Amino acid sequence: MLKSLANSIYKSFILNNNYLSYLTGLKNTLIISLFAVILGVIIGCLVAIIRYNAQVKKKSNPLSVICDIYVMIVRGTPVTLQLLIMYFVIFGFMKQQQILIGTLTFGLNSGAYVSEIIRGGIFSIDKGQMEAGYSMGFKSRQCMRYIIMPQVLKNTLPTICNEFIALIKETSVIGYIGLMDLTFAGKVIQSAYADAFFPLFVVAGIYLSIVYILSTLFKKLERRLSRSDRN
Amino acid sequence: MIEIKNVKKSFGKLEVLKGITNEIKNGEKVVIIGPSGSGKSTLLRCMNLLELPTSGEIWLDGKRITDISSEFYPELLALKGKEYKSLYKNLNAQNSLDINSARQKMGMVFQHFNLFNNLSVLNNLILAPVKLKLQSEEQAVENAEKLLKRIGLYDKRDEYPSKLSGGQKQRIAIVRSLAMNPEVMLFDEPTSALDPEMVGEVLELMKELAVGGMTMAVVTHEMGFAKEVGTRVLFMDEGQIIEENSPKEFFENPKNPRLKEFLSKIL
Repeated sequence: MLKSLANSIYKSFILNNNYLSYLTGLKNTLIISLFAVILGVIIGCLVAIIRYNAQVKKKSNPLSVICDIYVMIVRGTPVTLQLLIMYFVIFGFMKQQQILIGTLTFGLNSGAYVSEIIRGGIFSIDKGQMEAGYSMGFKSRQCMRYIIMPQVLKNTLPTICNEFIALIKETSVIGYIGLMDLTFAGKVIQSAYADAFFPLFVVAGIYLSIVYILSTLFKKLERRLSRSDRN
Repeated sequence: MIEIKNVKKSFGKLEVLKGITNEIKNGEKVVIIGPSGSGKSTLLRCMNLLELPTSGEIWLDGKRITDISSEFYPELLALKGKEYKSLYKNLNAQNSLDINSARQKMGMVFQHFNLFNNLSVLNNLILAPVKLKLQSEEQAVENAEKLLKRIGLYDKRDEYPSKLSGGQKQRIAIVRSLAMNPEVMLFDEPTSALDPEMVGEVLELMKELAVGGMTMAVVTHEMGFAKEVGTRVLFMDEGQIIEENSPKEFFENPKNPRLKEFLSKIL
């Protein structure tokens, strides 16, 4: 019993330097997640502000229509499908660049969700905040930047954190385009050595740790930012 | 200082201002009173263009801050199409002041304070002067601390608005506007959202400002303040100014029957 356990561990990690596969996978998962999150937040903020402005002025413009369509498409189709379309159709000419394509896909995907979170956040800020900014001579862009967005980001932090967590786990479908991420590494070793237990549980444990670290960081950040609403 | 020329404002089908013409001169303290829904807040908000007038013009210090209103330009009415557009553009560019520079000269105090919730008291005061590059940060901080000392709230400089009482918030909102060194201050029912016991401290600060020579336009229900501080009182009803007079005449000898009725109800 103990021997077969040791053998299983040996096969899953040590034989043929198998642990390196997990590390490569982890590295790829982290790179894709990190850049996708950054891309997602940038896209999300921009799209949210464009759509918010159009909504407030009750007049859509070409840019806001593009944003509407973008959000609709991204939210209306599965991310796996988006990944396949990006890889095989849109970027079919550069099949070596899986990391880049993956990052772009997940960034675009996340951007749509983040934009809705932020748009809701902007609407939750009292109109008077913006008016006070205007009344002191700020342009609308300055009001957004100095007054509205800091409050929006603070208020939406828990939801944004949620979105990041979902994104990290969503990157596990990148195996569909043949990139070795964490999940794919587990899967490869599982099938190569016909042993499922350790590869899959270790991979699960790593995801769990990443998410745990991330949520702890966010909790700290939240506490720091909520100085202003202690009563 | 502020000239209001036949300003009309409609929200959809509802006409809130039906052609207001008035002038607030340097040093005046104009108090605007009237029943709710009479358009007094809208008029005040039109002065710094938080509401854009549907027609009419607002002038500040001899510069127009709204777009031109074609009714004042007979030469414009004769033209059509392209010629109209080009002359309109031409006239519009003349003698105008952009809205943001105009607002820097007009402080505004709101009924609900509207302090920036995410910033400490001190940062509330210095945000606009610093970000708009009117003062260096050191200057702005020095100025802000002076203002906070003047209203006796220096010890609150690092607090956040959520920790302050209504009266404190409103006094800080007032000095936040003062930090911009405005030429005129607009007050939109500054005491209406306050507990009765806090009204006094805010009015006291406003009186101080008035004595200091600040030009003020105040929408309020505080008749005592109007009598004591105002140099001119306007009565608005249904989107029009239906009586204006010195406070003494206004309260002791009202002429318009609607005003008589209003005063009899509240005094």
